[in-house]
Amino acid sequence: MQALLLRLLALDRRWIFLLVLISVMTPIIVPIGLPVTTTSSTRSAFDFVEALQPGDVVWLSFDYGPSSAPENDPMAQAFLRQCFIKELRVIVTALYPLGGLGLANQSVAKVTAEFPEAKYGVDYINLGYKDGAAAVMRTLGQDIASAFPTDVNGRPVSEFPIMQGLRTIRQVDLVFTASTGLIGEWWITQVYSQFGTPVIIGPTAVSAPKYYAFLNSGQLVGMLGGMKGAAEYENLLAAKHETLGKYYRGTKDFTATKGMDGQTVLHGVILALIVLGNLAFFLTRGKKAGAA
Amino acid sequence: MEFAGFGTWLAAFLTLAAFSFLYKDNPFFRFAESLFAGVSLGYYVGNVLNQTLVPNLFEPLAQNFGTNWDLLVPGLLGLMLYMRAAPRIGWISRYALGIYVAYYIGVDFTRRIHGEVLPQIARTIRPLNSLEATTLVSLIFIVGVYSVLVYFFFSKEQNAVTRPLARLGTSFLMISFGAAFGFTVMGRVALLIGRLNFLILDWIYPTIGLQ
Repeated sequence: MQALLLRLLALDRRWIFLLVLISVMTPIIVPIGLPVTTTSSTRSAFDFVEALQPGDVVWLSFDYGPSSAPENDPMAQAFLRQCFIKELRVIVTALYPLGGLGLANQSVAKVTAEFPEAKYGVDYINLGYKDGAAAVMRTLGQDIASAFPTDVNGRPVSEFPIMQGLRTIRQVDLVFTASTGLIGEWWITQVYSQFGTPVIIGPTAVSAPKYYAFLNSGQLVGMLGGMKGAAEYENLLAAKHETLGKYYRGTKDFTATKGMDGQTVLHGVILALIVLGNLAFFLTRGKKAGAA
Repeated sequence: MEFAGFGTWLAAFLTLAAFSFLYKDNPFFRFAESLFAGVSLGYYVGNVLNQTLVPNLFEPLAQNFGTNWDLLVPGLLGLMLYMRAAPRIGWISRYALGIYVAYYIGVDFTRRIHGEVLPQIARTIRPLNSLEATTLVSLIFIVGVYSVLVYFFFSKEQNAVTRPLARLGTSFLMISFGAAFGFTVMGRVALLIGRLNFLILDWIYPTIGLQ
């Protein structure tokens, strides 16, 4: 037993990498469909959007790049689907310099293809990318057209019905930011704190812990923490709206709910390895690997 | 049999090249790493040029110089930053840097005070005069904040009163670090899932005709 534990402690870490690979790959090839429980932060975000009325204006900002797309894409797309099914008017922007606009264009194209009745310029608009997020948000509080004079295709925003009568971000009913890094925080500390527009954030899991402070202080309506938060949101949508339930159950595309199978299996493996490693360490304390 | 496109094959090769570092360092990994760094920089430069400089500086100046001539000021400040490259006139860049720093202090000062400091202090000051479940949470919250602040108070040597409080603060910090670490693991696993999804669903399956 001691010899086995000593060998375990001296195990080449590449075997663990292989175990991680197998743990994540297996649920992708053979989906398990493990249940996802809902946290209160996701529930409050979902309920807030559900309470909005048709015609209300929401602002969806793609503040992330390809490096966190597996976490942020599903949440942004789930939110967009909810907006279209509830007939909210959606303004899309991208404030992240490295690929935010490309991801925004991809997600908007994908979701609007599912909702052919949604008209560009009437039900939604893509204002594109703007550099200097902090300064952009400040300008949005004074005049949206100054920050985004044209849409993503270069047409003046004044041409579009969706922008008629909409002068500042104060008139927007909700901001949803799918974000990595600092940009999400700026929506809270600048747009909510100075202009009073409610904010929901969908951060990467790495950033999520710091946003609990904003959630507790009431500066955030809700939060979708990483892939888990996105999966919770997808499940809430599927349960509430039959059309989306069919979509999420039948799609072959990647969804956060599918990704959570791999997360759960791998977290189990990691926990087992932590327990095993500690057991091996304490039971063989004082003995050298060479003695095996 | 339907084959995935060239872009998918290239992305798959680069993904595998990046993963190959987990076995050991090798030329494929070095190639992928250098390519990634170069493409990222190139993308960023192109992005700044096409999304910022052209629409916000060059085009307005070219189309209506009389109205937009004031854009020369930020344009000039941007150029001044590059004077650092010439040692004899490097001092010029300090003026641009000074204005840049002052601008962000002005923007950030209000944001920090109204967006972070005041709301967070207000959340910490909670009434404890009623016996509810939230009162207990508020009490834990206050003890946590207070003990962590004591831990970070370095102006006076710790004594019999402050030492146990500081130790308690360390426990609160450890719990928060643990939560942050757990979230970090989840985030990194999510990225691995994203890549493996791509390799399996977008590359392998179409290549062998499964989808």
